[in-house]
Amino acid sequence: MKVVAVTACPTGIAHTYMAAARLEKVGKSLGFDIKVETQGAMGIENKLTERDISQAEIAIFAVDIAVEERERFNGVKVIQVPLQDALKDPHSIFAKIQS
Amino acid sequence: MPELLKNLRQHLLTGVSYAIPFIACGGILIAFAIAFAPMTPTGPDFSQAPRLKLIFDIGSAAFSLMLPVLAGYIAYSIGGKPALVPGFLGGYFSDQVKAGFLGAILAGLLAGYVVELLKKIPVSKHFRPIMPILVIPILSGAFIGVVMLKVLGTPIALLMSNANSALRAMGTGNGIVLALILGSMIAFDMGGPINKTAFFFGAAMIREGNYQIMGACAAAIGTPPLGMGLATLLQKRLWSSEEREAGLAGIAMGLIGITEGAIPFAAADPIRVIPSIMLGSAVAAVIAMVGKVGDHAPHGGPVVLFVVDHRFAYLLAIVTGTVVTAVSINLLKARSRRLADAREEKAA
Repeated sequence: MKVVAVTACPTGIAHTYMAAARLEKVGKSLGFDIKVETQGAMGIENKLTERDISQAEIAIFAVDIAVEERERFNGVKVIQVPLQDALKDPHSIFAKIQS
Repeated sequence: MPELLKNLRQHLLTGVSYAIPFIACGGILIAFAIAFAPMTPTGPDFSQAPRLKLIFDIGSAAFSLMLPVLAGYIAYSIGGKPALVPGFLGGYFSDQVKAGFLGAILAGLLAGYVVELLKKIPVSKHFRPIMPILVIPILSGAFIGVVMLKVLGTPIALLMSNANSALRAMGTGNGIVLALILGSMIAFDMGGPINKTAFFFGAAMIREGNYQIMGACAAAIGTPPLGMGLATLLQKRLWSSEEREAGLAGIAMGLIGITEGAIPFAAADPIRVIPSIMLGSAVAAVIAMVGKVGDHAPHGGPVVLFVVDHRFAYLLAIVTGTVVTAVSINLLKARSRRLADAREEKAA
């Protein structure tokens, strides 16, 4: 299953990237095809393309702040969780997707 | 209700995330200029130092822009692009009437929700395109201007100036209590929303010219990962090889003021780790507060030493907090290890 994700925290220097790495690692180990965009203090990095988003079955927003360029995700199923969830318990996020 | 609060928090943090770099730029440039200018009883004297004056002016400009950016992006988080106009205006007025960051936060929230309401007005199809480019910016901008300049601005400004003078006149006892709370908050969720609340309070006070709140926060910010790192070095047998590695990474992160370095430990053993790091950070914050440490940058850890006042007290605060954290976690861990061994013996 193809999944896209966005991570963002207020300061955007540590949590954002830790959560992205965690989602990527756990997602891949569970057999998901996952791409994670980070919206940190440097702005949008590893940006999801239109194609990434249209091919994805679901988008995960692991964010504590508003997602930038949110309109890109119109028409995609989105689940939004606090960023802490992606750090502490990423497995439950993927379990939610599969159910 | 929890949903509403969660959304509210997200909007506030969005604004904060855009405002922090402005505080960093303004705070550090201003501190730099003042540090090298001759000091007089009425403040720094720039008459003989045009270059320092220039730096000071640039920093001040960053500070003036910080409130509009804060309010603007709080509004943006709620109402999207059309909310930027009333948000920026509201923050600008908040600066004009001296309502500070409280005024800017309120203006941003009001601006965002007003725009959300205006969006809901039913209009005919031909009329719709002019809503976001004409009607909403003009109506919401006029609304927020009237509210900030004529209604809410002055009472908030009064509140802010009272709060500021209360903070400034605060005795040692209250200062210690405040530092205890701030330090514990900084460590509690290691970079999460509670940490950011304390952090932003400190950062916002920099703009108000009170550097000690941030000083206490800054001392507390570095100690959790530093303390965990020190703990793994002090008693290697208590820690696995992965944990010792995370400890070294923690020391590096602690030095550059990233509290998140303690997360791997706290995730593995929250019941013992979180109280230990809270204790260490609270101790660090109290020592910094008592030592009158001031921090001109919205960041913490040893890395900001250059822009800190009373550097010796700052270092003392960090070192003491780090040692307290390391000793507490190792005591707790050794105790649980002994209990576990005793249980095994009994079972055997």
